[in-house]
Amino acid sequence: MQSRIVITGIGVVTSIGTGREQFWENLLAGQSGVSVVESFDTSGYSVHRGTEVKNFNPAEFLVNLDASELGRASQFAIAASRLALTDAGLDAASLDPPCVGVSLGTTSGEPREVERFDDSYVNNELDKVGREFIGRYPCHLISAHVAEELGFAGVNMMIPTACAAGNYAIAHAFDVLRRNRADVMLAGGSDSFSRITYTGFARLGAVAPEICQPFDRNRKGMIPGEGAGVLVLEPLKRAVARGAHIYAEVAGYGLSCDAHHMTAAHPAGDGAARAMRQALDESGVRPEEVSYISAHGTGTPTNDRLETIAVKSLFKEQAYRIPMSSVKSMLGHTMGAASAIEAAVCALAVQDDRIPPTINLDAPDPECDLDYVPNHARAHTVNVAMNNAYAFGGNNASLVLRKYKM
Amino acid sequence: MRRVVITGAGVISSLGDTPAAMHALLCEGRSGVRPVELFDTALLGCPLGGEVREFDARKYLGRRNLRPLDRTSRLVASAAQLALDDSGCTAEMRAEQEVGLVLGTMFCSVHTISEFDRRALTAGPSYASPMDFSNTVINAAAGQTAIMHNLRGVNTTVSTGVTSGLQAIAYAADLIRCGRERALLAGGAEELCFESFYGFDRAGLLCRSNDHENHFPIPFDARRNGSALGEGAALLMLEDAESARERGARVLAEVSGTGCAYDCSRGRDEEKSVEAITRSMRLALFDAEMLPYQVECLSASANGSPRGDRHEAQAIAKLFGGHARMMPVTAIKSMLGETLGASGGLQAASMLETMSGGVLPGIPRLEEFETDFTLSLAGAASQTTDVSVALLNSVGLDGHCCSLIFTRREEFN
Amino acid sequence: MNTDEIRAAVKQSVANIANLDASDIGDNASYKDDLQLDSLTILEIAVDAEYKFQVKIPDDELSNILTVGDTVRIVQRHLAAPAIAAA
Repeated sequence: MQSRIVITGIGVVTSIGTGREQFWENLLAGQSGVSVVESFDTSGYSVHRGTEVKNFNPAEFLVNLDASELGRASQFAIAASRLALTDAGLDAASLDPPCVGVSLGTTSGEPREVERFDDSYVNNELDKVGREFIGRYPCHLISAHVAEELGFAGVNMMIPTACAAGNYAIAHAFDVLRRNRADVMLAGGSDSFSRITYTGFARLGAVAPEICQPFDRNRKGMIPGEGAGVLVLEPLKRAVARGAHIYAEVAGYGLSCDAHHMTAAHPAGDGAARAMRQALDESGVRPEEVSYISAHGTGTPTNDRLETIAVKSLFKEQAYRIPMSSVKSMLGHTMGAASAIEAAVCALAVQDDRIPPTINLDAPDPECDLDYVPNHARAHTVNVAMNNAYAFGGNNASLVLRKYKM
Repeated sequence: MRRVVITGAGVISSLGDTPAAMHALLCEGRSGVRPVELFDTALLGCPLGGEVREFDARKYLGRRNLRPLDRTSRLVASAAQLALDDSGCTAEMRAEQEVGLVLGTMFCSVHTISEFDRRALTAGPSYASPMDFSNTVINAAAGQTAIMHNLRGVNTTVSTGVTSGLQAIAYAADLIRCGRERALLAGGAEELCFESFYGFDRAGLLCRSNDHENHFPIPFDARRNGSALGEGAALLMLEDAESARERGARVLAEVSGTGCAYDCSRGRDEEKSVEAITRSMRLALFDAEMLPYQVECLSASANGSPRGDRHEAQAIAKLFGGHARMMPVTAIKSMLGETLGASGGLQAASMLETMSGGVLPGIPRLEEFETDFTLSLAGAASQTTDVSVALLNSVGLDGHCCSLIFTRREEFN
Repeated sequence: MNTDEIRAAVKQSVANIANLDASDIGDNASYKDDLQLDSLTILEIAVDAEYKFQVKIPDDELSNILTVGDTVRIVQRHLAAPAIAAA
């Protein structure tokens, strides 16, 4: 019998709130985190909006490390980790360091560090580049910084599988715990707002000018964003023994690759459906038992249409009955953090039996004809939640959470 | 729990494009570390690198359109083709069965990322290349390789710095052991490029030599003063032992144990660093249900770094005790350079050759031993040795440690 | 730059991006139907043309570039635009 793994702590840093309580309240209220981009000059672009985290003060979360020596994604990840530990009622100092691990995902690592390098390069000022470039840029430093700040010496994993990375990192933590390679895992994702990412999506014509409106007939694209989401995962036995609050149980996951195209999803949703199928199989859950799907739902015309096809291909008629919302309508696309934040959303939905809405959904699209929970949060019993994420490279990841029952 | 066997290996390295060719040169003590030709080294304090010269992916991938693939992706797709061929995993097999890919890389391509950004900065954001953008994600090489070879199983990129390659193999082995996957390519890759090279140089991590005649790096030597960067790609075909047997695949070795640990002082505190490296090796042995004395040789991560090599030497001495005086320790980064994400896969490919051919590469130029390294370091020359249990080590710059145990077992042959 | 020169340059760019022989590309070849290119590659061709000829093609016009002929025409029009304004 494999050990059961549960979620006992949630920490988030987002454009609509830092910390579980504020985040969840604003999410259920349908608040948008979209604002005018401030972290770099967008005057040369045809779009100007993003979901940046404003007024983030890293010093609030740093005890051992100096904020000036860390990239922004590391700062977010540390903040979300501390929030998650506190939420779980765990004191970092009381844990056995080699038995606590960190598994995080990201799309870009610390892109601002390479952007600074590029600025020096184009201005013929390469002599300005010092040891901090290699000291801050590589993405493995995000999980390293979290472990260094908190003193955790167990598994330290960074999985940069782009926009599905958070789910991959949580899945890995789940396996690590099941194999008894750790007692507690911090798992999630982090990404900072990036000029490079913004430039790329803008060039692809994938960025919406005003708002993100997934599944709406008039949707114009995604809104790039930033943030972090970290969960505390631990074996059920341990959680029960210490009297921890349990949000949800991680029931299983599925990973697959389209092997079709770098940026476009498979036209029939092949890989996405395989990942969902595997996640259900491992969880021992029948399709009709799924009570909520957290969609990848970026708001681009193609993603939302193909995602709808993929869900229908697996769930058949049941697809119309399962509420499926996209919190990216509010949070924008927080890249590698997105599916980690969405996993937190699923855990909260499972706990509270409340489903956050897809906002800005006013004009139904005939090709997107499922129940996307338009504009208003909904009370709904959530026994099983499925978290879907898709990424560049054709990477698909589905995670299944369920209500914890003895 | 299922058992994991290695049924093939593919390498692209500065010393050749088959494990056998590379290993033969390593055993001759030949170095791939030479003056870099790939980019201008005028701004660099160390002009030496383990470059894959005259690399042409068309040799491995044929007439397919390679424009969408950057150098890192080409290295990975080429090594993947070689590993698939070596294991006899045909296109028909991949159409029937989901084969996946777990790739370790530190940067994927910081060159592509930087170049994409620089063109947008100088010409304006509307001139940014859409195709290059798709390669700015750190999982680009894994994605491109999956498309090229129809790898529809798990596709994960692992990035834990220098340890990425071994960590990727460990991750893949665990997926097979718990029955999630049956066949996975796993290993690592890294390209040599100006951006990362300049960064390492500015950070003072590269070796310095007044005469650029291949005198450095020298892992474990008292005169060591830094590493040289290198590049390459190395992938192993890992399979569930049962499936491999059913299809009659040749088995090179078993991945019998994996371990990893983290040093949260990130190498600054000697005691903590040595403890983490020791723990990583101990966990791998525990996972393999073995004791230290059973290990017959060790491939070290040592690359010429003053601090890193010392900590690794002490950890080996601490864990293996008296046995450390008998068990030969080699360090092939002395000849390939520090190939970062590729290093673990290259160590693995070389070790498989040692296990099948009985020759272990030496550490060229190693002459001045540190008096407190109580190890049986491989001398400058290669040696014949019969190895059926080997330990591979990878130790990062930022506290990451990963270890693997490879075992040769007659039962699989 | 006359039409023939622009066409030759566009074909060369398409050949490089799509791994084709420039002489195999028709004057009015459709990127999708004749050359079997995906949307990312077609966008790359359009942006490459903008970059090489140093013209700025508005986003809504980019989506109208479906053939070699479209690319040549739009590049030519934008190259001519400043001259007309100056006249």
